[in-house]
Amino acid sequence: MKNSQIAIIIAIAVLIGYTIVRLGNSSTYSNFSDALTLNGGKTTVIGYLDLEESMDFNPQTVQFAFTAKDKNGNSSRVIYNQPKPQDFERSEEITMTGYATDSAFIATDILMKCPSKYNEQNEVDSDKIYK
Amino acid sequence: MEYVGEHLWAANLGRGLTALAFTMAILSTVAYYLRGDDWKKLGRIAFRMHAISLFGLIGTLFFIMANHYFEFDYVWKHTSLDLPARYLFSAFWEGQEGSFLLWMFWNAVLGYILTYSTKSFEGPVVGVFAAVQAFLVSMILGVFVGDTHIGYSPFILVRELQDNIGLPWTQFSDYLTRFPNFADGSGLNPLLQNYWMTIHPPTLFLGFASTLVPFSYAIAGLLRQDYKSWINNALIWSFFSVGVLGVGILMGGAWAYEALSFGGFWAWDPVENTSLVPWLTMAAGAHLLLVQRNKGGVITSALFMLILTFLLVLYSTFLTRSGVLGDSSVHAFVDLGLSGQLLIYLLFFTIGSIALLLYRYKKLPKKEKEDRMDSREFWMFIGALTLLISGLQITLSTSYPVFNKLFGPEGFINLYDQDKVLSDPIEHYNAIQVPFAIIIVILIGVGQFLSYHRTSAVIFFKRQILTLVLTTVLTSLSAWALNMWNPMYILLLWSSYYAIIGNLEFLTRWAKGNWNVSGSTVAHVGFGLIIAGALVSNANKDVISQNKTFIHEEFPANENLLIHRGDTVQMGEYWVSWTGQEEEGYYLNYILEFFEEKDEKLVSAFDLKPRIQLNELMGNVAEPSTKHFIGRDIYTHVTYADLRTIEEKGEEEWKNEFDLELSQGESHFLYGKYQVQLDTMVVEAPGRSESGFDYAVLGAGLKVTTMEDSVFKVMPIYAVQGDEAKHVDAEIESLGLKFRFNRINYETNKPVITASEHIEAEEPFILVKAEVFPWINMLWLGSILMAMGTVIAMVTRIRRS
Repeated sequence: MKNSQIAIIIAIAVLIGYTIVRLGNSSTYSNFSDALTLNGGKTTVIGYLDLEESMDFNPQTVQFAFTAKDKNGNSSRVIYNQPKPQDFERSEEITMTGYATDSAFIATDILMKCPSKYNEQNEVDSDKIYK
Repeated sequence: MEYVGEHLWAANLGRGLTALAFTMAILSTVAYYLRGDDWKKLGRIAFRMHAISLFGLIGTLFFIMANHYFEFDYVWKHTSLDLPARYLFSAFWEGQEGSFLLWMFWNAVLGYILTYSTKSFEGPVVGVFAAVQAFLVSMILGVFVGDTHIGYSPFILVRELQDNIGLPWTQFSDYLTRFPNFADGSGLNPLLQNYWMTIHPPTLFLGFASTLVPFSYAIAGLLRQDYKSWINNALIWSFFSVGVLGVGILMGGAWAYEALSFGGFWAWDPVENTSLVPWLTMAAGAHLLLVQRNKGGVITSALFMLILTFLLVLYSTFLTRSGVLGDSSVHAFVDLGLSGQLLIYLLFFTIGSIALLLYRYKKLPKKEKEDRMDSREFWMFIGALTLLISGLQITLSTSYPVFNKLFGPEGFINLYDQDKVLSDPIEHYNAIQVPFAIIIVILIGVGQFLSYHRTSAVIFFKRQILTLVLTTVLTSLSAWALNMWNPMYILLLWSSYYAIIGNLEFLTRWAKGNWNVSGSTVAHVGFGLIIAGALVSNANKDVISQNKTFIHEEFPANENLLIHRGDTVQMGEYWVSWTGQEEEGYYLNYILEFFEEKDEKLVSAFDLKPRIQLNELMGNVAEPSTKHFIGRDIYTHVTYADLRTIEEKGEEEWKNEFDLELSQGESHFLYGKYQVQLDTMVVEAPGRSESGFDYAVLGAGLKVTTMEDSVFKVMPIYAVQGDEAKHVDAEIESLGLKFRFNRINYETNKPVITASEHIEAEEPFILVKAEVFPWINMLWLGSILMAMGTVIAMVTRIRRS
């Protein structure tokens, strides 16, 4: 067998092995109730901000707490140990990566989706025109 | 109906040129395909006409954007009257339509050059270009076939948008002047109002466009069953592509580092990944072509790699423009609803080119003799393979959203019930890509000491003794100086130093500055510096804005420091003071003054102005400010600032209420700033009033001493009549302090005085994150060297051929 063929076979084996391992390892999108069953395992929850509940940011300790509802409608307190993101109130959807505890979901990473970026909100709105 | 004030001529011209560009591209493809001298001539004319109409259409779009014809949807969405002229280019390619045009522009330019330079290969090479252009122009056609639209035209008027057709306002012939909405456009996203956004996209798209040249040569070679005569041309273009694409990607990193606040130049975002992968495979393909030319025997792999590169560019286009990335990327394009068309484009070239490769596979020339393990070509092949695997790994991990669409809960074949996602992408990619990078940089170093065919072991080792010694010494010194002891990182540092020093030594001692090899060695030194710079600046990134709120040192909450205005806090070796803020256009600049300690005194060292972009359209965004030194960068950004006015906060004007209960002469230290003493008590109690009720007026004489020893005397008044009470509050305006004589505590017989502080008296604060990036200049120096090396290599190759 040729050297180059051996190299190719090894490389392909590495790649296939890697893919199988990764697909098993990667976390899944979940909701707040499923996150609790993971016993502190990392997961990602997509939800939206519950504006009825309070949003607290303490700049001294740099802790931000808010309440989010996931897609199933379960809500949970979320604690984020980073400064409150700019325009958090405007977010339409929040992708939170972190782990669940009894009292709150601890988010290590937050991605927000703001309406302005995804909607072409600059279409001429006929309601506005008649004002 | 005649509408007043519209520039319909521009719409007609633009759409006419689009249609012409489209038909000419198709005509050119067909004519080139039919072969024969006359057909070839027709194909060439058609392609040039296509290119010219494309340039005309781009010019028209520029014209309507520069003149702010806001009846056009694209102009309205991407420009505004106050947009500085220098950002017109950024506005042009902000939208999908414009960036498609940018890509087509470069394809047309390259294709135009190729109609002159390819000679006998013109037919299939330019033919492939024309076919690609036909697909691309279709993305901006904007015509309807039945109910499905083909492409989105940048020349569509606002009133012609599907959502607007039939709306009452379109019935006014003077709608442009009647409705104030049309007086100004919504403008360019301020995030893109940055000089990098003027040069990064065109460079990157030239890089993308240039991958088409080697692809076309590969297709042409397969069609003609000629695997020789085009190699040299394709080689030059491949290295052109590697250089331009590499610079384009690095410019994107520079933009992110300068203007975005995620703290770095690379975030493994899907959009970044899908532009890196074609670069990896193009580098692999270019090196395989080099082996093919010098030694032969790797034509199959070379063809595969060149074809794959272009297909990966198409896949990247599909990912970033179809909306499939959705949640997983912060800067994919807005979905225009072109996913079907993009998929057809991707599949057409994937199936076509792979089928052709398979069809010819058996007849491709094979290696007669196996490569020796001590030959340069064997290790170049291994390097190419490593680049491929590295690229495929990135592609697989970036494709999770695609897998979810195919196999997820709502997929075609349901294999799993929950969408999968990478929980920590940065850590994931770093962990897997570091070993690949180690192999690549070691091979870059080794390659220079190997010869084609075979290498004498004695020479191989003798030539690099100095390199090995120097590399090891330098690595130990660096690891010690940087306090970096992760074995994987040390190995990567050692190997990138090995690549740098090995190539430098080769260039100076063995090649003696020979121009034929200096291009590649300079580029390789550059690459080594890029890897070393990326490693050192990232792995040794040091957050100096530490506070000690929580015990755990790497707790993210501890990495943001609160600074009150006028306060001075310690950050690493510096003392930092927030001295004020200034408004500058869209920006609110926060002025941070950095002090150094010299002879136990604080000496002002430099100012940084991290800022917040007041972006009504996209939300406010923090932009970093960086002090560049040769050996390190100090990178700061404002992670939190309260921009609301008092009304917006919806808070009380007076806050921090505090009850003081004092007997005469007693004092209290208030708010950590004031000494408040009950000086005198005045009581007026005239006994019975006319209406027969008791009343009393009490005054508490307070003496307030500030930290600066200023003394204020005030007297809040408390009047009671039966169960009714009235207060006359005393205010010290200059301090923002208010006192109310609230009541008498009848148990202690002491007056209760409520102090409160005006909201503006409270010092405003910001949260700042500051990081030190050590030796990040190695990365930028490496980028420049890599670009220079590529240029030298290309020029020497063109001269030789």
